[in-house]
Amino acid sequence: MQNKWDIDGHAEPHTVNAETEKMKSDLLTLNMGPQHPATHGVLRVEIKTDSEIVAHAIPHLGYLHRCMEKHSENLDYRGVIPFVDRLDYLASMSMEWTYVAAVEKMLGTEVPRRAELLRIMTVELQRIASHLMAFGTYALDLGSFSPFLYAFDEREKILRLFEEVSGARLLYNYIWIGGVWNDWTDEQLQRVGDFCDAFEPETDKYHALVSVNKIFLKRTVDVGILSVQDCFDYGATGPVLRGSGYQWDLRRNMPYSLYPEFEFDVPVGTGEHGTVGDCWNRYIVRMREVKESLKIIRQVLKKIEPGSVMGKVPKVLKLPKGEVYVRHECPRGELGIHLVSEGGDSKEPYRLKVKSPCFTHVSMLPLMAPGQMVADFVATIGSIDIVLGEVDR
Amino acid sequence: MSHAVPHNSVKHYFAELWSAVSTTVRGMWITFRYVWGVKIVTVEYPEVRIVLPERARMRLFNDAQNCISCTQCALACPVDCIYIASEKYPEGTELKKASNGTPIRLHLTQFVIDTALCCYCGLCTTVCPTECLTHSHDYEFSQYTIDGMKYDYLAPDVIAWRDRIVKA
Amino acid sequence: MLDTIAAGINAAVPGANAQVLNAEDAKCDGSVLVEAAHIHAVAAHLKASGTMNVLQCITGVDYTEYLEVVYVMAKFDLAAPAQLLLKVRVTDRVNGAVDSIVDLYPAANFQERECWDMLGVRFNNHPDHRRILCPDDWEGFPLRKDYITQKDYRGMQVYPEGKMNMGDREFIVRQDMIKKAQEAAAGKVQ
Repeated sequence: MQNKWDIDGHAEPHTVNAETEKMKSDLLTLNMGPQHPATHGVLRVEIKTDSEIVAHAIPHLGYLHRCMEKHSENLDYRGVIPFVDRLDYLASMSMEWTYVAAVEKMLGTEVPRRAELLRIMTVELQRIASHLMAFGTYALDLGSFSPFLYAFDEREKILRLFEEVSGARLLYNYIWIGGVWNDWTDEQLQRVGDFCDAFEPETDKYHALVSVNKIFLKRTVDVGILSVQDCFDYGATGPVLRGSGYQWDLRRNMPYSLYPEFEFDVPVGTGEHGTVGDCWNRYIVRMREVKESLKIIRQVLKKIEPGSVMGKVPKVLKLPKGEVYVRHECPRGELGIHLVSEGGDSKEPYRLKVKSPCFTHVSMLPLMAPGQMVADFVATIGSIDIVLGEVDR
Repeated sequence: MSHAVPHNSVKHYFAELWSAVSTTVRGMWITFRYVWGVKIVTVEYPEVRIVLPERARMRLFNDAQNCISCTQCALACPVDCIYIASEKYPEGTELKKASNGTPIRLHLTQFVIDTALCCYCGLCTTVCPTECLTHSHDYEFSQYTIDGMKYDYLAPDVIAWRDRIVKA
Repeated sequence: MLDTIAAGINAAVPGANAQVLNAEDAKCDGSVLVEAAHIHAVAAHLKASGTMNVLQCITGVDYTEYLEVVYVMAKFDLAAPAQLLLKVRVTDRVNGAVDSIVDLYPAANFQERECWDMLGVRFNNHPDHRRILCPDDWEGFPLRKDYITQKDYRGMQVYPEGKMNMGDREFIVRQDMIKKAQEAAAGKVQ
C-alpha cells in the first residue's frame, strides 16, 4: 500500500500546480484516546488524518500494564493462576489452560481423562462466550444495538453455568495444575447439552440479523485487507490468519491434549462476500467457529465418563531446571507461555513470559490504517478483536 | 481505497436497493418479534436479587473460633491480603478443640482480610485445614473509605453475628 | 531437528557458532544458541531457506551473568509445522546491543520494543526505539533481577505509604521467619 503522506505530517495534493501548492494541508493529529467506546479497552491510537482519511496510525500501549510477569516471579505456581486469568479476561479458561499445560509439561503430571474432557468442554464453551462478546461488541461499534443484547443473553447462560461450577463468572481459577478444581454433576452436564441445543438456532438468527445485512456488508467488506504473507510477516494467528484464507488451527495442525479424538472443521475466509482477508471474512470465521465449538462440546458430552478430576500432584511444586514454550489456540489467536524455571528448591517461576496474540495484532494497525476512513478504522479495530488485558499484561 | 468501485448501471442500482431493503426487512422481522413475544430477562435489582449458586466466591468469612492460626491461607494468598497474628497460650491452659478435632494451640490476636486487595480466587479457602475460612454470598460491601475495606474477623460485632448464625 | 537447524545455520553463516542446548530434563525444550553479532544473518538465513517463516515472540531472561534474548520462531506449514527457540546472549548489561531484525520480520517491531522496555537490551537500526508498556520517561528495566522501583514518578509517589500496607505485608514474612527460627531453635535443643 503506497503511502502518499509523509511522516512529518504533510499531505501531498493529487495534482501539483501553483494553485494546489497553496492548498497543501497539514495532517490533523487525533487521539483515538484511551477512553473510547470502540477501542475495546484502554488503547490509544494516535491517528494522523488527511480530512477523513487516516494517513498514519500509531498505537500507544501500556495503559493497562500491571507487570504480571514480574509479579509471577514472586508467586508459587498455583498462585500464578489468578494472575493468568486476568490476562484475557474474556477467555480466562483458555489462558489458565495454556499456563497449566506449560507447568504440567515440565512436571510430567498425568491428568485424568475426565479432567481433560472437562477442560476441553469448558474451553470450548469459553470460546463460544468470547466469540459472542466479539460479535456483540463488533455490531455495537458499527452502530447496531440489538445483536449486542441478544449475544449477551446467550453468553449469560454460559456464565451462569460457569458460576455454578467454579464460583465466579469471569475470572474462574478453575483449571488447576493436575486437573480441574470442581467436578460437574450429571445434571449440569445435561444443562450444557440443553444449552447447545437451544443455542444452535440462535446462530442462524445472528447470521440473518448481522452477517448478511447490507449495512454491515457495506461497512466491513473490502476493509482492512490482510494477505497471508502480511499475517506471516507480523505473526498473526487465530481468526485473523484464518480470515486471510490460511487454514491454520493449533488444535488441528499441532494438536495437544485430546483434540485428535474430536471431529471438527476449521473455517477459513473464502471470499463469499468481499475479498479474502477483509473484516467480513475475519468476522465470519468467528461465527463459524462457534458452530464448530458446539460440535466439539456435543462430542465431549458423549465421551465423558465418571472418574477423578485431579491427578497426583505434590503439595509443594518444584519444577526441574529448564524452560518450555507452550502454544494453545485461544479465541483471539495463539497464546504462548514461555516458562523458565531455575530448578532446585525454588517454588516460583524464574521467568514467565506471555506471548499475547492481541499484542501482535495491534502491531498490524499501522499496516492496515493508511488509506482508510476513520469509520473504516473503527471497523478494523473491532475485527481484530483485541482485549487490552492481554496486550498490556 | 476501502470500498469496491461501484458499477455505474441502472441494474446495479436497483439490485443494491433491493438487497438493502430485503436484508433490513429480514433483520427487522427478527427484532420486531421481541416487542411482544419474549419473556423479559432483566432482573429488577435491587428489589429482586438473584440467588447465587452455592459455590459463588463473594466476600470471605472467617469463623475465628475455629481458626488454629496455621497461616496457610496467608501463605497461599497471591496478593498477600490476609494479616494474621497469634501468640502461644501460657503453659498449662486447657486447649479448646476446633471443629475437625485439632486442639487450638495458638491464641489468635489479629485476623484481618483486606477485601480491597483480595482477588476472590478462593485459594485460601482450599488450604484451610479446619474449613473456617469460606466464601459467603455477600457482594454488597462497598465502603466510603479504603481503610473500611479491611475486615477484622475478631471484632465483637462479627463474633456476635457469628454466634447467632453458626451452630457450635 | 535442532541439530539439522544448527548445522544449516553454521553452514550458511560462518562465525555464528550455532550450538544446540539440549535441556537437562527430557520434558523441557531444547534451543539453539548463536552469537549475538550474527543474529541478523542467522535470521535472514532462516527466512530465506524457509526453515522458519514466522517470528512469534522475542523474550528475554535475566541470568545475572548475562541477558539472554530468546527469539521464538515458528514454521507455519500445514504439512510440517515446527517451532524453534533461538537464543542470543548479551553480556554487557549497560550498553548491550543486538541488531534488529525488523526488516526481515516486521513482527519484531513491537517485540523488540518490549525487550528494550523490560530488559534494557538495545536493538540497532530499530525504526521506533522507545518504551512500549512502561511510560516513556520511566527509569530502570523492570524485568531485570536487580531492579528497584523508583520512588517518584513525575512528582507522584510510586508506592505511597498509606495505600500499600507495606507494614502489614512485611508482617506475614516476619511471622514466617519467626516460625522458622523457633523451629530451628526447637530442633537444636532436641
